[in-house]
Amino acid sequence: MIGMRVTVGSASYRSMLHLQSASSRLAELQDKLSSGQQIMKPSDDPSGTVRALALRGDLKRSTQYAANADDAIGWMSTADTAYKQAVNLLQNARTLVVQGLNTGANDAAASTALANQVDALRGSLLGVANTTYNGRPVFGGTTAGTVAYDPNGNYVGDDGSITRAVGANNTVTINQTGPQAFGAPGSDVFSLLDIIANTLRVNPSGLGSALGQLDTAISTVTGAQATEGATYQRVQAASTALTTDNTNLKTELSQVQDADAAELAIEVATANTTYQASLQVTANISQLSLMDFLK
Amino acid sequence: MSSTFGQVNQAMSGLNAARYQLEITAQNIANAATPGYVRESVQLQSVDDPVLGLWSGRGEIGGVRAAGVSRQNDPVIDARARMEHGLDALASGNANNLSAIEQLFPEPSDNGLAEQLNDFWNAWASVANDPGSSSGSTAARTVLLQKASAVTTHFNSLSASLQSVADTTDQSLASTVQNVNSDASQLAALNARIVATTATGADANGLLDQRDRLLDDLASRIGAVPTLKNDGTVDVDLGGVALVSGTTAATMSVDSSYNVSIDGAAVTLASGSAAADLQTLTTDIPAYQAQLDSVAFTLATQVNDAQAAGYDLDGNAGGPMFAGTTAATIGVAITDPAQIAASGTPGGNLDGSNAASISQFGSASSGADAAYSVLVGNIGAASALAQQKQSTQDAITTSVDALRSSVSGVSYDEEVSNMVTYQQAFQASSRVLTTIDSMLDTLINHTGMVGMT
Repeated sequence: MIGMRVTVGSASYRSMLHLQSASSRLAELQDKLSSGQQIMKPSDDPSGTVRALALRGDLKRSTQYAANADDAIGWMSTADTAYKQAVNLLQNARTLVVQGLNTGANDAAASTALANQVDALRGSLLGVANTTYNGRPVFGGTTAGTVAYDPNGNYVGDDGSITRAVGANNTVTINQTGPQAFGAPGSDVFSLLDIIANTLRVNPSGLGSALGQLDTAISTVTGAQATEGATYQRVQAASTALTTDNTNLKTELSQVQDADAAELAIEVATANTTYQASLQVTANISQLSLMDFLK
Repeated sequence: MSSTFGQVNQAMSGLNAARYQLEITAQNIANAATPGYVRESVQLQSVDDPVLGLWSGRGEIGGVRAAGVSRQNDPVIDARARMEHGLDALASGNANNLSAIEQLFPEPSDNGLAEQLNDFWNAWASVANDPGSSSGSTAARTVLLQKASAVTTHFNSLSASLQSVADTTDQSLASTVQNVNSDASQLAALNARIVATTATGADANGLLDQRDRLLDDLASRIGAVPTLKNDGTVDVDLGGVALVSGTTAATMSVDSSYNVSIDGAAVTLASGSAAADLQTLTTDIPAYQAQLDSVAFTLATQVNDAQAAGYDLDGNAGGPMFAGTTAATIGVAITDPAQIAASGTPGGNLDGSNAASISQFGSASSGADAAYSVLVGNIGAASALAQQKQSTQDAITTSVDALRSSVSGVSYDEEVSNMVTYQQAFQASSRVLTTIDSMLDTLINHTGMVGMT
């Protein structure tokens, strides 16, 4: 026998194997191209799948950190507005105290009017101290209640801190409690304004020390505001970093998981040509037979 | 010196031989596509010592006779083809079963368990941001409970799907065992018929083809090894335990713990589709099920421990969030959103520190996410390896099949070319007969007729 006999079966086994492998390669590539995914199932690239899962987790967390940062910024912006209003109100009170000092005991009616204005300021300040964000008093710590101060100016919040995770291992405290911003209970701005109003009514000339105490209160508030501002900067920086992280993670994930359309398109074209060629060759070979040449 | 009419017999035997050869050629062409058909050819023998017949005598040259029809197969190649088919059935069975398992884990995607775990952890972060209040909304907490329930439902359905792959594989194994037993009893019956047929001197080739087809089937299913005997019968054994012995067939069975035995004797399957199913049932699925259970257990334990370390909206220490310790049984144990222990301090406050720390569990290297990702990686790697093995084995099997077909298969060109040869042999023998006839005519009708006109 010269070489291998070619029989109906042996020829068809081979051409079937080649046809099958060419068509399944084509189908696989088309699948990838149409889905845009390099990894259609874990076995396509087991280590790539594990990497993609880790990156997707990172990406999800990074998205959540960004949401946390946005929430922190919302909280702190609300607090910042409250600080500005509080400083304004306290400076107004200081002006009233200066007027009261100038008026002195000469004009009781004027002093009483000033005292009423101080009371009004105290009321506004109480409103500012009860500023809420998302239904929670921003100066109330972690209280479940709706206000940080009751109408009498007593602190009803707690000393809990509100934190936001704005990155892996980057947790910031975004709140200042009422006592931290407005002074310790008993010596806070509300009792100070109470005392000032009383003094204006009773003995305007006794206001001497009030001016100094008000200045201290204003500096406490601005100090808390500055702390909040520093945290704000930190969250802003974290937020910017998160945007960069997010982009990097997406790029990395895309490299692991997504198909390169241009490259795939070329591969699909090649696979298509190969498949057509195998079909053509199979069809041509099968047509030829000795019978064609016998009369 | 031969008799006057001896040459008629010679020419006649040539005509008969050519006709018989054409008959077998026709048989070959007709069965070119019949699975398991082995090409046949006529064994011709010249007759030097003719049988005595009409007009024939001693010392004559007797022509040709067909000594028999032989099957053109090579037992060595047949055995090799069976072995490779057994391995091929094992490789493709493994690849198919693993691919069925792999389809249950559509990762990486937005629908897999990994993404639902991510969503679950992020929901904890949302609760940390907005723990709600006793009077106000508990939207974030409600969302968290929904995400928890999505995770547990996914675990339950993954576990059930793994079980259903096991059930399907179990059915496939049972049907394989049935087929094996049916093949075995058919073989035993064929052995009896082959002996009976050959004893009468008849052609048993058709029976041998059937026998070989059954042997191929047994090789693919359980990798059984046949022992061919001189009388055309075959014994089949599996690791030394007889499945078919002469005209007796044993019964193969698989018990509920997947121990295989033949008439009570334990056997180990190393090849064939049954071996693939057994591996899936005894190794792959239990291993993946255990890993999945461990992922569910890790999740439940870590979250429940963390819950216990925190305080709920009413200020009480948190109770377990998850009930159940396996993928099949895990469920959400709490229904009241207020019972989520978001706070790190007692007193019913709106602290979210415990929730914030739980939200970081997803990135822990000892957490459920990492364990799940290892599981997916394992399945992917096993499936990729099985596919690789299958494609290698496919190529080997195909080339052995081609080799086998090249020896035993039918080639049209060859048959047609033979056909032309036989046709011409027939014509030549006819010509010999015509010539003898004309010679006899001369002898009988024209000899001694000179001048008689």
